[in-house]
Amino acid sequence: MSPIDSISSALNTLAAPPTQGPTKLPAGLSDGLSAPSAPVDGFSRLLDGLVSSVSGKEAQADAITSQVLLGDSSQLHQSVIAMQEASTSLSLMVAVRNKLVESYQELMRMQA
Amino acid sequence: MDLIPGIDITAGALAAQKTRLDIVAQNIANAQTTRTPAGGPYQREQVNFETELLNRTDGANSLLQSVKVSSITTDKTPGQTIYDPSHPDAGPDGTVKMPNVNLAYEMVDLITASRAYEANLSFAKDARELAMKTLEIGK
Repeated sequence: MSPIDSISSALNTLAAPPTQGPTKLPAGLSDGLSAPSAPVDGFSRLLDGLVSSVSGKEAQADAITSQVLLGDSSQLHQSVIAMQEASTSLSLMVAVRNKLVESYQELMRMQA
Repeated sequence: MDLIPGIDITAGALAAQKTRLDIVAQNIANAQTTRTPAGGPYQREQVNFETELLNRTDGANSLLQSVKVSSITTDKTPGQTIYDPSHPDAGPDGTVKMPNVNLAYEMVDLITASRAYEANLSFAKDARELAMKTLEIGK
């Protein structure tokens, strides 16, 4: 039994608030850590969504910036604002990821 | 997704003030222009603003208003007429119609527009700082 399997059963009893709809959160956590490519409910899907939103924002900022650099647009502020939004959403993603890792480590400490 | 509060509104205001700065530049640049495609001397232009409802999907904030340039109008006041028979645009009586650009007005407009731009920039900076501080809740 891997350590992740053992905590996922602990998570089943701990981290399932009644309002959370389909409570696939523990499965998502363990699946996300062992097989990141599998799209499942819970944290891994949340992270997936965040990553694609961040990458979308970065692509948008890239497009606007190259338009400004190529002289197609003179909206310098739009480019800087788009970059700022991309950086803020990246920080949001990092904050979510840090929280996730923190709670994982908190759970791991339970067996020590 | 609107991560940074109010940034769309500020973006509209920045674009509008930028247009105003462009028009001030145009007025100053053409302060001595006596010939235009439409005929006659250059006439100074003015930028007018109007509110713009933002197309937002989140119900509560859907009535937020940004600003956009509604029209650019021409100031019809007649300019100075000076006597200069050697000027190629001089009339038969030797007078030339000069543009109605008054540099004092343009400087006032320039200062107002650039200060307004700065005010919107400091809002943008503050909004970004607020978003970053919000993320620090989790730390």
